Amino acid sequence: MNASAKKKKWSDYVFWFILPALVVYTAFVIVPTLSSVYLSFTSWDGISTKINYIGFDNFIEIVKSPRVHNALKNTLIFAIVLVLLENIVALGLAVLMDNVRWFRNFFRSIFYFPVLMSGIIMGFIWMIILNYNFGVINQLLEMTGLGFLKADWLGDPDYALISIILSTVWKAAGYYMVIYLAGLQGIPQELNEAASIDGANRWQQFRHITFPLLAGATTVCIMLSMIGSLKIFDQIAVMTDGGPGFATETLTYIIYKVGFGELRQGFGTALAIVLFLLTLLISLIQMKVLRKREVQM
Amino acid sequence: MAKKPLLKFTSLVMALSLVLTACGGNNAADHTEEPGSNTGTGTDAAKEVSFTIAYATGDPATKQAIETTIDAFTEKNPNIKIVNYSETTSAAYLDWLKTKDAVGQFPDLVEMRDTKVFADAGKIVELPEDLRGLFKTLPEYDGKVYNAPIAGTAPQGIIYSKKAYADAGITELPKTYDEFLAIQEKLAASGISPIVVGGKDIFHMGFWTNFFFENEVYAADPDWNSKRTAKTASFTDAGMVKAVTDYKELFTKYVDKGWLSTADNQTASILVSGKAAQLFSGPWMFGQIAEADPSFEFGFYAIPNREGKTVINGLPSLSGWSLSAEAAKDADKVAAMKEFIKFFFDPAQYGPYLATVNGIPTTSAEVTYETGEQMKEVLRLMSDDTVVKSLGLANWYGENAIPPQFRNWFYKLLQELVLKNGDVTEYMKQADTEYDNNVKANAQQ
Repeated sequence: MNASAKKKKWSDYVFWFILPALVVYTAFVIVPTLSSVYLSFTSWDGISTKINYIGFDNFIEIVKSPRVHNALKNTLIFAIVLVLLENIVALGLAVLMDNVRWFRNFFRSIFYFPVLMSGIIMGFIWMIILNYNFGVINQLLEMTGLGFLKADWLGDPDYALISIILSTVWKAAGYYMVIYLAGLQGIPQELNEAASIDGANRWQQFRHITFPLLAGATTVCIMLSMIGSLKIFDQIAVMTDGGPGFATETLTYIIYKVGFGELRQGFGTALAIVLFLLTLLISLIQMKVLRKREVQM
Repeated sequence: MAKKPLLKFTSLVMALSLVLTACGGNNAADHTEEPGSNTGTGTDAAKEVSFTIAYATGDPATKQAIETTIDAFTEKNPNIKIVNYSETTSAAYLDWLKTKDAVGQFPDLVEMRDTKVFADAGKIVELPEDLRGLFKTLPEYDGKVYNAPIAGTAPQGIIYSKKAYADAGITELPKTYDEFLAIQEKLAASGISPIVVGGKDIFHMGFWTNFFFENEVYAADPDWNSKRTAKTASFTDAGMVKAVTDYKELFTKYVDKGWLSTADNQTASILVSGKAAQLFSGPWMFGQIAEADPSFEFGFYAIPNREGKTVINGLPSLSGWSLSAEAAKDADKVAAMKEFIKFFFDPAQYGPYLATVNGIPTTSAEVTYETGEQMKEVLRLMSDDTVVKSLGLANWYGENAIPPQFRNWFYKLLQELVLKNGDVTEYMKQADTEYDNNVKANAQQ
């Protein structure tokens, strides 16, 4: 039996091994996904057994709706600002952790701890910290004579979005820190030593050696944080419920709200399709740009 | 080569067994009875039966009182098992209920607050005939009765700190809305935040909205909602604009600054801690306030309108215990749920329940229970024929029902109006557009 025949025989059996998982995956992922596409063209309320086909009406409403535009704007703000902040903070923490000599594991655990918390729990904690009347931040400001700086951190549209962003950075940065740390530990020390002998200062070493060699970790972190920020939901649901008014509504949030709270499953599903396409598009662009950067470096 | 199909079959069986082993890894734990299933053991005399139940748990006193009733019932009827699905959640009850339905856990016996939605979807059935005699009034939807009303519609009013009123030199309760505003000025001048609002919970926004709508619109025209649906009335009508303008003025001038991040369940603490002087809410708060500080002295009154007339939330509405259509197919479950409903509304059980939740009785049988000073005022208002009884924006039913999705959107719009100091008429034009879109979308369903 020659090699290609052997390979063919093997691939026959591989198929039969894959089949059960494929059936389960088709039943629980592929079929619901395809039925979502169908539902996005209906006016289904999510409860009744009657489902009416309404063509592109849901998508036309998405294009026209100021509420959706506002949610899309907020989603993009979250995506851009969160990706930048999470990665800057995570990289900074990783560099610090890489250089710290004492209590290294203790600090790593401390910074990683928020990652282990669910978004819901974290949302509740920050909601209490940021509460206008009883929150620690306002109480501290009051006690230190800075009462004039007190604000309704989650109730004022000027602060609500940034409060959610900062609390999300607090939660997620530790996760990306671990990835960056793994990348940092893979960089040979000799490179930095050689650069140091050549007279490069710490910043120059970081700028021209460390950061370029972290290209792989950067691609992974940016991709993950972008997808995570496009999907942000828990914190908003707990901390602001999309408010005040419509100030912190994002696409994922209104998908849930219109689908379950406002009995418009068809419209909510159409929004989910839009979010899926948006995430796919951004991820593809990002991958292309970052991969190119990796090759160049 | 004859072995090939056998090998393929063997590999498929192996792979399937791997998958199924993983799926069945927790079989031992799965031997517990399915929620809502009838165990089917025992004799007919004490046939074991189980049903699921769910109710809104936003108010801790109500949650506690219903749990107590369930415990008392199951103790008396050991053959009936009640699986309680209720969860404490910050989400709106409708969101939660619909999520339960989506995951196939629609309760057998459910506190229904959106009767139209679930009746139209065929999720609930009519209340059994033999239970209807228990109640004084049973509102109908489409000529059918779906609910066993748990308690009467509760009026809302001002719950005020007696100390704050005394400190501000307020000796008399207001006889008109303008006098009420004068009181707010006095309170603000005394250095206390006049009104606390739990605006983080969107349902709470309905309290003040309904007060203004009932006074400026519904008292004169209870059919306004149906006219809006038929496009013969508009949110830009003079009455509506007046109502929303008053709302905006009140929120801008007299509401505690942190109102948008304050949850409904924090309002009692803010009131008793002296950070705010008043709360506009219903009698279900009396227990929470007393629990937060038993020594806190507070009173309750309904705010009069500009003409000195009192209009309150007080008409019967479509809400109460409903039987699910799925459970109604099982005669044993129906019998068990009927037993529970009879037990719940038995005066011996219902009296303590009403006393705990400060509720208004709905039964034809007389119910006696102890009430505090504030609840006495609530009951006086309900029995006073000169007090106009009305319903809130989303509580009307039949032709006057609004699109279910409109309510929360509108409350958020009002929040935005206050925050952005928006033009009332312009915002009401947006409300008209959204309302019409919702009506159109629902007509397509």
